[in-house]
Amino acid sequence: MQSSATAIDVSDLSKTYREGLVFRKIHNALSHVSLSVKRGEVFGLLGPNGAGKTTLIKVLLGILHPNQGSATVLDLPAGSKSARRKIGYLPENLVFPRHHTGRSALYFYGRLSEMNDSQIQARESELWKIVGLKGREHEPVRRYSKGMRQRLGLAQAMLHDPDLMVFDEPTDGLDPMGRQEIRNVLDQLKERGKTVFLNSHILQEVELVCDRVAIMATGKLRGIGTIDELIESHPHASKSTVTVEAIGTMAQIQEATRDCAVRDFSVVLDGVEDATSVHRFVVDATDQANVDKVIDRLRNNSISIYRMQRYRASLEQVFMSIVGAANSPPSNTPNSNTPNLFK
Amino acid sequence: MKPYYAVLYDSFQESVRSKVLWILLAAWTLILAALFPLSFSRGESYAFTFADIENPRLVLDNLANASAGKGTRAQKAVFAKLDEEFKSILVQRQANKRRIFTGLLTDAFNKLLTNKELYDKEAWPNADRRKDMKPLIENENRSAAELEQLNRGLINLAFPGSIRAATGQATWITYAGIKLGGAIPLSERLLKGVIESGFIPLVMRFGLGIGAMIVAIIITSSMIPDMFQTGSLHLLLSKPLSRNLLFLTKFLGGCIFVAFNIIYLLVGLYLYAGTRLDIWNTGILWCIPIFIFTFMIFYSVSALVGLIWKNPIICVVITALFAGVCVCVGLIHFYFDLFLHVVPQTQRIYAVNDTVLLTTQQGRVQIWDEQSKAWKSAYGDVDGQKVMGLVWLENEKAIYFARPRFNPFGMGGNQNAKLEFARTPELADPSDKTFSSKIWEDSRMDSGPELPSDPIQIFRWKDSLAILSESGVFRFNPAGAAQAEERKAALGGLSWLGNIGATSALPGEAFVQMTDKNWKLPKPLDVSASPSFQYLLTYSNGKVCRWKSDGDKLIQETEIELDLPAETVASIGTSDKNCIVCPNGMKPILIDVETMEIRRKLDEMGELTVKQIVADNSGSLVLLSTEGTIWKYEPGTDKATKPSLVGQGNAHAVSFASDGQLWVAHSFKKADLWDLAESTSKRSLRPKSSIAELIFTYGISPFYEVNPKPAAVYDTISYVLENPKNKTLAVNRADLEAATIKTDPWKPIWTNSLFIAVLLTLSCWYLSRQDL
Repeated sequence: MQSSATAIDVSDLSKTYREGLVFRKIHNALSHVSLSVKRGEVFGLLGPNGAGKTTLIKVLLGILHPNQGSATVLDLPAGSKSARRKIGYLPENLVFPRHHTGRSALYFYGRLSEMNDSQIQARESELWKIVGLKGREHEPVRRYSKGMRQRLGLAQAMLHDPDLMVFDEPTDGLDPMGRQEIRNVLDQLKERGKTVFLNSHILQEVELVCDRVAIMATGKLRGIGTIDELIESHPHASKSTVTVEAIGTMAQIQEATRDCAVRDFSVVLDGVEDATSVHRFVVDATDQANVDKVIDRLRNNSISIYRMQRYRASLEQVFMSIVGAANSPPSNTPNSNTPNLFK
Repeated sequence: MKPYYAVLYDSFQESVRSKVLWILLAAWTLILAALFPLSFSRGESYAFTFADIENPRLVLDNLANASAGKGTRAQKAVFAKLDEEFKSILVQRQANKRRIFTGLLTDAFNKLLTNKELYDKEAWPNADRRKDMKPLIENENRSAAELEQLNRGLINLAFPGSIRAATGQATWITYAGIKLGGAIPLSERLLKGVIESGFIPLVMRFGLGIGAMIVAIIITSSMIPDMFQTGSLHLLLSKPLSRNLLFLTKFLGGCIFVAFNIIYLLVGLYLYAGTRLDIWNTGILWCIPIFIFTFMIFYSVSALVGLIWKNPIICVVITALFAGVCVCVGLIHFYFDLFLHVVPQTQRIYAVNDTVLLTTQQGRVQIWDEQSKAWKSAYGDVDGQKVMGLVWLENEKAIYFARPRFNPFGMGGNQNAKLEFARTPELADPSDKTFSSKIWEDSRMDSGPELPSDPIQIFRWKDSLAILSESGVFRFNPAGAAQAEERKAALGGLSWLGNIGATSALPGEAFVQMTDKNWKLPKPLDVSASPSFQYLLTYSNGKVCRWKSDGDKLIQETEIELDLPAETVASIGTSDKNCIVCPNGMKPILIDVETMEIRRKLDEMGELTVKQIVADNSGSLVLLSTEGTIWKYEPGTDKATKPSLVGQGNAHAVSFASDGQLWVAHSFKKADLWDLAESTSKRSLRPKSSIAELIFTYGISPFYEVNPKPAAVYDTISYVLENPKNKTLAVNRADLEAATIKTDPWKPIWTNSLFIAVLLTLSCWYLSRQDL
């Protein structure tokens, strides 16, 4: 469902905060950020607290004025009224006015999105079902749990069927079931060709739903690409080892692989050390001949191979590696630690 | 606009569901419910009120004499029946000069009203011949009201001229039908007028204008800062809304919330005043938009502060500081204005040959000093009184005037007002011993004869002057006055014993009564003599009488009744052919003096209040309205027109000079002599500005003009409540001549609108630049 057209285009965006009247402190919230999001893709924005993610979203929504650079949303100037008309936004730590019920809040935000009551009425039933608030919509929002408020936030963001959805921590406060439901919603949106700009701390979630991911730290864009691209670009991604789990005694296995480059033997399953025990060990896969040799030896000694897995770096490792490098001084040169990832 | 309606609707829903609105509505309902039983009632009463005793000092002196066995038998009879406590106070007064307040005297008299033993045939030998008292005296089984009526009549007879006749009707303030305090010395109509023009504006100004405004600002102070709640604002701003319009909508939401409360309260007050007091004053309803506007002034400040600091407490504090600064600037401006423009404002202008004199509202007589280009106080710096006159008598070569204590709305009485007379500077002669006081620099004539009781006006009458009082018209007799002076001088140091000279001069020496002794023209009363002194016309309580001079006497010839509400205050002015009566706040009425028929209403002048009417020998009449507008009625064209002259619209006094030219005092201290035929000024008096005036004109006034003036809106409120038809709050003729400052009541609306616009623009500019 993705198209080559751009949903979000950010070019050399910088935002600086100044604090204090006498002793002015300058804080670079965004520094020369450039990225683009294609229409129909689910785009994840990752980064630690204070990385500039929310600042970037606020600039896209026109809440903040950038000091430098430009941004377009759906080919419209970011922050313009016409652009905002096409955006559904779920803010972080959403607070609803206490006097609302779930339904009155939905109507209120629907009207703010230039919908009339009959249009809202036509959409509301489906939305309550989607976000899992069916039957609870008449309750006052002040009695809603954090998860319920988050679901209501999602409902209002989707109400006017926007082309672009900007979700800031959408699964925050939700239980695992709720998170799964949100993931389902994101899948549905993706199937319908909607563009989703997702800001989340939960890496697994991003890994599961996002087509592409950007990682920010200290106001700078540190990495962008598909999950695979990010992992492949990780410095340790090329670490060539294969983990093998084989069934047999430790002595049998060690004897079979005596001449091979193997290490780190361990017992996988607890139990009596016998012929049915599963042992794990690491095979050096720098040379594929070594791997073949180990397999041949094991099979020749009638040792069953229970499982084999080639090593792959996780997104979390990539993230930690990038953020850690960004936070460790000196890092004056933008993106210097990951030159092959950044364009 | 749909999203903004949604924001407005949501603001209202929020206030409804937050219960604040209900709490406020309950509070207003309680206030209205507490007010509802408050009303007034009218009934029969002969009780004394403090306004009934016109000359309390004389009454007390008479009672003191009675205690010493002097005075009339009636006075002795009254004294004998007084309670012992009051008698002892009276003795103390004699011995220690202890002051007795009028209230004590009225209390003592009121106790006598129920005394069945007061009537004594010997003390009041003629009482049973009076029509009003005869049936009461003959009736043995008098009711309580009849007894009060009889005793009141007897006390009145005991102190003639010092106590007003009882009308038999009184008004009380009641709460749930229970009378609160004693009777009020005002008729129901006048009481309504006082409530309408005095009490309601007071409640509006302080109750609603200050009290309710504070409540409104505190309650709405959180509305704008709440908009900035994290997680709420960003969602709002992500919608296709203009942040400026969003702010203005929130601002409007606060105003609508307050408007709802004001409408509820003021409609309630309007219905209360209408149903309980019979005052259907639509001005109360006009106050609704004005109060909302006043709130908007303060709220625009609160909103801007809310945008910057996002804290309701800071909003309230800074708004209060803003109000405080505005009040301080307003007060400084007010007091400068009061002491520079109101208190010394010209009341009358008068010319004696080349000498121009004026009287001021504070009771001073000032003479123009050409050398120093200034008005100089002459004849004593007497403040707090009102000048009657001036009248120049060529034969006596003296200016005559009086300075009785001014009692607005007829409260109290004129005590011991004396006729004063003085020379003009060019006639001043230090060796002149005619009068016992000095001349020019400090020549207050405190040795003149005492005026007849309750004087209303001093006017020129032929070669002398006349005094209109409630007891008749009196001609001044200079020869008689001189005899009284001589007798007083002979008494020397004993004159303190008590106005012997003055009282002895009253009946036939200093003043000769020209009207019949049974003269009874009730107030409001005004008089005008035709330029040829052929006629004297009086206006009294809706009737115009024409009097003709017959030697020393005035004989009533005809009278006509005008179709006016009872107790309408009016001014009257007459030429030899035409008379104009100007009822307060109505169209002037033109009357043919010969036929005493109403010719027409002067529709071209509209509804207005006229405070001065002067006539010249050619038959022209010049009228001066309380608004400062000069009108001229020409008998030839039979039309009233506004002549084009400097000071038009800002005039304070007019008078014809002997050559038919018109003196106009205007613009506080300026004066011009106009030839109306040529429309040219023949002489201009322009006094130099004092330092205080320079400070006011070039310092305080410009600063005040640019400073926001929320308090000035209360002038607009007073205007819509009091003065929708150019009507002045007046009980007597003299009230029409009170000082006025011509202000545009709608100016505060425009200037404060500008202030609101500036602040809202500033707020929008700040918000558009703000990173949220």
